[in-house]
Amino acid sequence: MTMPIRKGSASRIRLAALFALALALVLTACGKSNAAQTAQGGAGASPAATEPVLIGVTGPLTGDNAEYGKQWRKGFDLALEEINGDGGIDGRPLEYVFEDTQSDPKQTPAVAQKFVANPKIVAVIGDFSSPASMAASPIYQRSGLVQLGITNSHPEFTSTGDYIWSNTSNQKDDAPYLAQLAVSQLGKKRLAVLYLNTDWGKTTVDLFIGKAKELGAEIVAQEAYLSNEKDFRPILTKALDAKPDALILISYYNDGALIAQQRQSVGFDETVTVVGIGSIYSPQFIRLGGEAAEGVYTSTRFYPADPRPEVRSFVEKYREKYGEDPDTFAAVAYDGIKILARVMREYGTERKAIRDGLEAVRDLDTVLYGKASFGPDRRLENPHFVNLIVQNGKFELWQP
Amino acid sequence: MLDQWINGLVIGNLYMLTAIGITQIYGVAGVVNFAHGSIYMFGAYIGWMAITWWGWPLLPAITLVLAGSALLGLLLERVAVRPFARQGSTILLLTTIAAGLILDNAAQVIWGPQTQALRNPLPHWHFRLGNSTVTLLDLFILACGVGTALLLHLFLYRSRAGWAVRATAQDREAALQMGIDAGRVSRLSFALAGAFAGLSGLLVGLYFSNIYPMMGASATLKGTTAALLGGLGNVPGAILGAYVLGIVEAFSVEWLGASYRNLVAVVLLIAVLLLKPRGLLAPRRALNPEPTAGTFIPHGRPLRFPRWAAPAAAAAAFALPLALANPYPLQVLAIGWAFALMAVSLNLISGTTGQISLGHAGFVTLGAYASAIFTSRLDLPFAASLVISPVIAAAIGVLLCYPALRLRGQYLAIATLGLGEAISLIALNWDAVTLGPLGISNIRPPDFFGYELVSPAAQYLLALAILLAGVWIVHRLGRSHLGRALRAVREDEVAARAFGVGLSRYKSIAFGVSAFLAALAGVLLAHSYSYIAPDTFTFALSIQVLTMMILGGRDNIAGAVLGAVLLIALPESIRFLGEYRFILYGLLLIVMLRFRPYGLLNART
Repeated sequence: MTMPIRKGSASRIRLAALFALALALVLTACGKSNAAQTAQGGAGASPAATEPVLIGVTGPLTGDNAEYGKQWRKGFDLALEEINGDGGIDGRPLEYVFEDTQSDPKQTPAVAQKFVANPKIVAVIGDFSSPASMAASPIYQRSGLVQLGITNSHPEFTSTGDYIWSNTSNQKDDAPYLAQLAVSQLGKKRLAVLYLNTDWGKTTVDLFIGKAKELGAEIVAQEAYLSNEKDFRPILTKALDAKPDALILISYYNDGALIAQQRQSVGFDETVTVVGIGSIYSPQFIRLGGEAAEGVYTSTRFYPADPRPEVRSFVEKYREKYGEDPDTFAAVAYDGIKILARVMREYGTERKAIRDGLEAVRDLDTVLYGKASFGPDRRLENPHFVNLIVQNGKFELWQP
Repeated sequence: MLDQWINGLVIGNLYMLTAIGITQIYGVAGVVNFAHGSIYMFGAYIGWMAITWWGWPLLPAITLVLAGSALLGLLLERVAVRPFARQGSTILLLTTIAAGLILDNAAQVIWGPQTQALRNPLPHWHFRLGNSTVTLLDLFILACGVGTALLLHLFLYRSRAGWAVRATAQDREAALQMGIDAGRVSRLSFALAGAFAGLSGLLVGLYFSNIYPMMGASATLKGTTAALLGGLGNVPGAILGAYVLGIVEAFSVEWLGASYRNLVAVVLLIAVLLLKPRGLLAPRRALNPEPTAGTFIPHGRPLRFPRWAAPAAAAAAFALPLALANPYPLQVLAIGWAFALMAVSLNLISGTTGQISLGHAGFVTLGAYASAIFTSRLDLPFAASLVISPVIAAAIGVLLCYPALRLRGQYLAIATLGLGEAISLIALNWDAVTLGPLGISNIRPPDFFGYELVSPAAQYLLALAILLAGVWIVHRLGRSHLGRALRAVREDEVAARAFGVGLSRYKSIAFGVSAFLAALAGVLLAHSYSYIAPDTFTFALSIQVLTMMILGGRDNIAGAVLGAVLLIALPESIRFLGEYRFILYGLLLIVMLRFRPYGLLNART
């Protein structure tokens, strides 16, 4: 064995010192916030009246899905303004800590442990995509911290355990209702269905097709597309060749707007009605789709002109604060905070009390569901829909 | 039928625009520029501001975009290329990745993450062909693509500056000796590349009438595919490649469905790489232009540490859960160990054997799916699956890679990228086995003989133990006869073969062991996450693992581990920065590479 070369040793020592320092920095930075929190958590046994109640939010603020995290934040902030203007949780202000995960399954378990280790966090909202959310669920379940998924429609999301809940639109209701709109109310018989090839799209399309066939419609084309698809001309040409009388979009608003636009350039005309699932309901759909969005039907659980008082107050405050109409992502975020606040006010802010409260609470006032309660699958029940059509650059109420 | 032909030509038009920019820059600067997509996106946003905010007509807006993105190209050259020019093209791979990360995140901060509408200011004139319409914009894009290609050709072949650019691309040393200012040439190339990227970003944005901060990534992937089909550096080839790609994709949608579209594109690319590696329009008498694989990663000598350092570090790592009650850092490190295993396994392919793999996520996905299927659907115990799944994943991985192993350098890198994508697309489309887009949920936590490892400390120790086993395997292998043969392949393939080292066999062994270890990491993560889907392990992961490995240093196991732990812990430790987090991450990466270009634990030879 050769001896290590002498002259390298000084730089080696410097290097080793550098790394020791870097590693120490990283570790203390990881640990620091928690040390501080644990210290305060010790005092938390008898919380001061002014100490805030904290909700942990895990979601995307950077990366591919950042725009949804931003919509969430608008909904959260509005809900908090209302709740804290109305006395907070028994005099304590309600606040949230938003940890950016980029909706990346490699970051969500770490954030979950961070929330779990912080005794001031009493419940968690998020994450956005299924891989990111469900990678963290076992940690929340084992540690007894509620994870409320506000956009998690994956059918298995709540199956991890009794601490995992969701107030998102339930595809078991949404998809069959869309089938009813297209087949029974609009009288369409030959449906071409385009769907996003994700867990959400696949779940929705299966439920939709089941109901549509039951109502007597024929599925003339059924085409999945990848989530990063931008060029829909080939798939639309294929759908047009099947001679449909309606084009069904199981899409988000961004891809929905692209499909609406490109359909005209492959020869779709007014004789083929476009009907989209509720997630296309967003001011963005009209902004991005332009004239091509005209005449598109959708069904949603809420729309800005809905006379229900909880919707009226939400929409008016939202417009005042942000100068635009809210979409489903903002609404579901708003609902998420309001649900947790109601439960905390009635059942206390202990982690377990919040879980039990979600199970016990009845008749929650929600924007999306109206008066609703959680069912045995830990999702909200109470289907309630309105039909909308895009007219003159706006979503308008539509009735058959 | 006619309609799909037209659809293919229309989208091929867009691919062409991007492909010309990419192929030119490669031909001129010899750099695979991962920030190309980010400048493309910035160009689109500059045009959007001009058209939407200030109400400019199209032509002044295009001029502004050309100027703005050329400046951005210069900035990129100054910050992320020039300081590293002497260190070889792999470092440039990393610095341009970091620069792209900074630009993408900066765009999110400046313009917001949401998609913006970009209205086409051209008149809505169009004509019909069959059912389809072709618009004025389609023709305008065609004109721009062909026009810029011609201008560039004139510049390169008719002007003195163009000659200098070409001379430098052919032989930098000789060009320097002839008195060519190589720095000026490099600046010129990047300004041109920037202008090209920006213009294509704007035009593609106009075509889809929307733009968003992350639009660069998928567009450049398609552009690169088209450029490779035509042969890198070959402009007429890029144009042909773009239309071929567009048409093949349109018909793959017609016959197989849109979910198969990218899979077909990948298969087409790999087939062309194998049959005509220099592209569809390659001249027959072609020389071999790619860099010798071994020189791809900067040389360096591992720093020496005392003999007791490695066991001491391992013991300290094992003892950490005793000292640390907080589960959060343990969880961060547990994931760090899994990624370290991936980096160590990639090190065997890239560091030891000198082959670049951009498809490591594919091996991870194979392992994760194999174990999820065995334990959830066939009820195999975790302990058995921990051994069986990686073996099966490695076997499938080697079978898939084998035909590509005779490719070298960047061509192999691109082929592995394609294979990695293909594996995740197969997971998406093969519903019967993988449950398709729904993924596999409720995967059991790791357990041994009925004892479940669920606590953060237990999962941390399991990950650490598996990592150390992997490190031991790679270490032993590296010091054996086999390791020397692999290094011989890295240093000189021709000489290695002359000494009786069968290239494909030895590369397969390296890929096989590496796939085994990467799949092991996949098994670990699948059981820790409890849910996997086709998009759990993505191309971004492959790039990140490569970054970790290069950051640590070539052929340096401890370096790979350190690189992985740092790059996992770094974003966690700067969480307080919120939206600015990945801007700083990119900057730190560039700074680290600036001061330790041979890797953190390697020194100059």
